[in-house]
Parts: sequence; structure tokens; C-alpha cells
Amino acid sequence: MANLNIQHKKENTFDAIVIGSGMSGGWAAKELTEKGLKTLVLERGKSVEHIKDYPTTNLHPWEFEHRGNINEDVRKENPIISRCYAFREDAQHFFVKDTEHPYIQDKPFDWIRGYQTGGKSLLWARQVQRWSDFDFEGPARDGFAVDWPIRYKDLAPWYSHVEKFVGVSGNMDGLPNLPDGEFLPAMELTAVEQYFKTHVGANYPGRDIIIGRCAHITGNAEHYAKQGRALCQHRTLCQRGCPFGGYFSSNSSTLPWAMNTGNLTLKNNAVVHCILYDEQKGKATGVLVIDALTLETTEYYADIIFLNASALNTNLVLLNSTSSRFPNGLGNDNGLLGKFVAFHNYRAGVSGEYEGLTEYTTEGKRPNGGYIPRFRNVQKQETGFLRGYAAGFSGSRSILTDHSDIGENLENSLLSPKFGTWRVGSHMMGETIPKEESQVSLDPNQKDAWGIPQLKVSIDYDQNDEAMITDYLEQMTEMFESAGFKNIRTRDDKRAPGLDIHEMGGARMGNDPKTSVLNKWNQLHACSNVYVTDGACMTSTSTQNPSLTYMAMAARSVDHAIRESKS
Amino acid sequence: MDRRIALKQLAWITGGVILIPSCDFTQESVLEAYQKLQVTASQRETLSQVTNTVFPGVKLKKADEVGLPDFVLIMANDCLPESEQEQFLAGLKGFETFTKKEFGKTFKKMDADEAAEAFRNIMAMESEENPDLASTKEFLGITKRFSLQGYLTSEYYMTEIMPYKMIPGGFKGSKLISELERINPNG
Repeated sequence: MANLNIQHKKENTFDAIVIGSGMSGGWAAKELTEKGLKTLVLERGKSVEHIKDYPTTNLHPWEFEHRGNINEDVRKENPIISRCYAFREDAQHFFVKDTEHPYIQDKPFDWIRGYQTGGKSLLWARQVQRWSDFDFEGPARDGFAVDWPIRYKDLAPWYSHVEKFVGVSGNMDGLPNLPDGEFLPAMELTAVEQYFKTHVGANYPGRDIIIGRCAHITGNAEHYAKQGRALCQHRTLCQRGCPFGGYFSSNSSTLPWAMNTGNLTLKNNAVVHCILYDEQKGKATGVLVIDALTLETTEYYADIIFLNASALNTNLVLLNSTSSRFPNGLGNDNGLLGKFVAFHNYRAGVSGEYEGLTEYTTEGKRPNGGYIPRFRNVQKQETGFLRGYAAGFSGSRSILTDHSDIGENLENSLLSPKFGTWRVGSHMMGETIPKEESQVSLDPNQKDAWGIPQLKVSIDYDQNDEAMITDYLEQMTEMFESAGFKNIRTRDDKRAPGLDIHEMGGARMGNDPKTSVLNKWNQLHACSNVYVTDGACMTSTSTQNPSLTYMAMAARSVDHAIRESKS
Repeated sequence: MDRRIALKQLAWITGGVILIPSCDFTQESVLEAYQKLQVTASQRETLSQVTNTVFPGVKLKKADEVGLPDFVLIMANDCLPESEQEQFLAGLKGFETFTKKEFGKTFKKMDADEAAEAFRNIMAMESEENPDLASTKEFLGITKRFSLQGYLTSEYYMTEIMPYKMIPGGFKGSKLISELERINPNG
């Protein structure tokens, strides 16, 4: 028996364990395995292999039984996921249904999840804007949260490292508030976007419209062929999984790369119950895993543990990792774990029409859009609210077909479409301020199907968010009017937090163990061989789509972990 | 066993239209493919005539040739909220009676021009305080909506009329419009 146990322990021991195979976990796995560490990646969901497991990727519109629509029964049973823009017939199999993994909403929160190899990296919107010091210095300057323990210079080389590998299309725009990176050829702005850019540039100093920097391969094809990826073909069917590997996902890029090193073991249906802590050694020794299908439990061991379970699930794992040393969750000496959660405010948008540029249209498709970097409160505080918002801005030429009649008239209409105006639209991406009362915790009574406490989510908007919405709507409307756009309409859809799919924080980074959970290397202050490099680590949210920053932090932390282990 | 349940079970086993081996002609078989709707073959025939009124096949293929009746039924069965589904069904099931009462002639007896006129007239009627008219309008409205969706996303339309490219391969943000070029919403 004793021999069997020793054998078992040996088989289940790795140099490193990564919890989660999504955006940031995939990066941790790539970096660890490339450096020669035998690495176990634990993924709680099903296996999704690149291309092979993209069942809808090559289907034509008419091959979908409901032409993209979701069945009413599914919608009724799953109201939360049904609110997600990408939950459609072609990609519904990549989303967690409400019924599959319930949680408790103290306040309305749409928790959008993807439990499979690659996680939500299959489904993301692929926008990758860098942070600048205007973002990292925000909390210290404006007196909220705690000071970030890092600055732009700490992350810049890692942004470059990540960008070169994932492939980022963009322009060198030379903006201090949105640093340039390692860019492949940019996608084009449309005629009306270019017009608006010129107009805003001439009339609103400090405000810019650029083409989004997006994780699509638009050049240097040979370099990406080494990953088995090819140039983006502009299908704009990304959410189905891309057979060309044209956009970055863990499935197409980091995980196969890690697998090729021979150092990766990927285990699916592996729900992490908790991280195991050894009091004698004063460090984490492994994880306890529940098989999602058989409910069988297994322990795995490693000296380095990366926690990349997605922002809220990472909080859940830490809160559930209790021991006599850490009765309130691993690394939670100060009681702050699960608190100061924030997100991006996506509630508001503006649309309009432009009657000029009638001689132009567009051709092809573009898996990208225009982007307006934050212009409020950048150099100094200048409004009644803290921080600011970035915004999307896109415009395309409309084609009109009269559908009002039936019969021969309708058939004639379908045969004679006409060009209409340019339609323009914008949506806000507001920074929200992390607050102690915005938090997640473990419910004392309710458990999920694997016997793990359900997560209780209590996150809400505040007055700062409301003031920011008002300002965004005013400013964007004014800029639209000034550019001569007509039929301007504003909206505030009052969506719940979470639908932005940018939830962050709960295990924030900081210099002081009394006021933060992670240090400047993303290690738990109180348990240094556990690294958290997903959204849970975020001290503040800024306005940029966060995935690029998680990936850069993951790569930087692996480098640190390896240097630590050698010293 | 309840006759209705027995029929349904038989439908499951045979997997299609079932003929009732009895002399009771008052009850017609239901189409098994649309479980929630419980529509009969003759109701499907009525629907088919409505979709052919929307797309009569003068300049383009007609509704039947593009498979619209089945598409409308699939969508009505699977994708409609319950309240709309009830209205759709009430409108469909009462359609022949309604048209007979309103126009002195059942819909199925009308020629193409009469059917189109009837369709337009009904949609223009004020339906307040007339539940039969309300459900008939709802039925026609939903049928037209799904007919359009099905037509515009059909293989025929997206390959032969307004060709769609799954792989555009690129994007131009400003392209001068040529007068000679046909405008293609799927292009």
C-alpha cells in the first residue's frame, strides 16, 4: 500500500500546475513548458481541440436550422447567458448555461462563462489595447483602491513579448494614453470613420479615433505558420473558432505550442476544489481536483501553482482553500479577498447617420472596429466624476431594401436594393471604481453540483458610473452633432454588471500585505508559490479591454517564478 | 388510453405524418415535426399558401421552392415565446374561417391576386377589440417575418441572387461606388 501511494504521488507530481486553460492560463502554460517545466493544466470543462472541435465553423447561414436564433426553451431556462451578444446558434455550445452552474446574485450580475479548453479565449472580442501610466497611476493620483505596485515600464517588455506571439494588428498612433506596440499591418477605417477622425482631430484636442488594435494576424505569415496559424481571412465568424487560427486563442496558439514542447499535460473535466497548503513548509503543495463527470477526487502536486480560473472563479478557489493557517481562504490574512471587485461600464451607446460621402461604400468584412481612447481626466482631474471612458466607434454604409409589401412588389424590392446613409454607432467602456462593498463570497449553505459552495455576487453601479454615463452621452452626442451626423439616438440599456465580461479584482495587487492580496509579481503575499495572473489580480480596471494585460502579467510572473526557483 | 396521446406516440414511432386508420374523419393527423404546434397537413397547406402569397415566384423562386413553409413552422415551433406562439396558432387554425367570413371565400379558394389583396387588407384593418382579427394579423405578421428571414438566408438567395462570400479575404474601408455594379447586401 505504501509503495502504491508513493507511486501515485510521483505520477501526480509536476513542476508546475496551472488552473485554467483560457487566455492567461494558456500563456502561463506556454511560458512554463518552454522553460522546460513539466506542467499540468487543469481545465474544468470539456476538451475543445483546435479546428477538430469547431463544429459550426464552416457552416453556411442556411445550414443552421434556426438561422442563428436560439430556441425559446433554452432562452427561458437560461435568461442570463441569453443576454450575451455572442450566445447564438453558431456558438451556443461554447457558453455555460445558467442551469449548468448556478450562483447567487445578491444584486443582478450576468456572469458569462466558457467552460472548455481555451475558456473564453475562443469567444473574446479580440481587442488588445495597452495600458499606460495614466492608468497604472490612477488609484494613487485619484485616491481610490491602493497604488498599483507596478508601472508601465514593468509590463512594457512583456506586452511586446505577448504581442509578437499572438499577432496584433494596429497602427503606430503615437498616443501617450495608449502606448504603441508590436504591430502587424492595421485594418482600415471606413470612409465615415476616417471623416470623423479628421473632424474630431481638428475640433477636439486630445481626442482621437483610431482603428482598434486587435489580435488578428495581418502580416508576417511565416512567423505565425510556426504555430500552425494563417492570415486572418475576414470571415468575422470568430466566435465559432477559426479554422485558419487567424485570431488568437489558447486553442489555436499557446496550448498547441506548449504541447509541442512535450512538457504539457492537459486534463479536462478537472474542477479544482481547493489549493492544498502545507503548514510545515509554509507553502502550497498542490490542488484537490474533482472529476466533473465522475465526482472522483484526486490530488496533484507541484512547487509552482498558477491560478487562472477566470476572475470570479479564481476568487472562489482561493476562498474555498481553507486551512488552520488560512481559515478565511488562502492568502486572506487581511480579510480583503473577494472584495474590491469592479468591471467595465458598457451601459450607454449613441447612434446616428451621415448623409455625406455618398460616393463611397466598403468592401469585405472587418473583425474589428474604431476605438476612441479615454480623453476624460487623463492629464488631470477635470470633471465631477473620477476617471473616464474609452469608446468604440464604427460606421458603415447602409443598404436599404423595402420589405414593407408582399408579392411581386417584395420580390422586385429584393432585386433592387439601394444605398442609404452611413450608419454610425458608439458604445462606452467606462472605468469603474473598485469598492469594498463590491464583492464575492461563498454562500454558507448552497453548493454546486461538485459540492463546492456557490459563489455569492454583490456588485453594483454607483454615482460615479451614473455621472460618467451622462457625460459620455453628452460628449458623444455633441461630437456627433458637430460632425453633422443626423438622427442621433442615445441609449442606456441599464444592463447588469457582468455582461461586459470584464469583471476584475477580488485578489488585488499592491505593495502592502495589509491592504492587498498579491504582490508586484502576482504572488500571494502570504503564500508566495501561488501566482494569480488572471482578472482577479486587478487593482483598478482602467478602460482598456483587459486580456492583453493578463497575458503580459502571466508571462512576466512565469519568468519571475523560474528565476526564484533557481535562486 | 387517450386518443390524442396514442396518436402522438404513434407519430413518434413512425416519425412522420400518420394516417388515422379509422372512419372518424373529424380528427386529422398532426405533423410530428412540430411537436408544440400540433398542426395538421391541411393547416400546413394553408400556411404554404400564405408564404406563397408573400413570395409568389414572379421574379424570384416562390416560397415553396425555397422551403419556407417548413422553415416558418420550425421557427414558430422552436423560437417563439409562448404568447406569440398561441396567437400564431389561433390565427393559422382560424384562417380559413376568418377569410370566409371576411371576404365570402376561404383563402384556399382565392387566386394569387385575391390572396395578396386579402393579405394586405387584413394587415390594414384595425384590430382593437376583435380577438380573431388580432390573432389573424399576428399570424400573418409572424409568417411574413419568418418568411423574409428564411428567404434572405436561403441557399438560393445567398448563392444565386445576392451571392455571399464566407471568406471575403480582406476589407476596404473606402471603395468608390461604380454605377455599373449591382448592389449586393451580401457582398
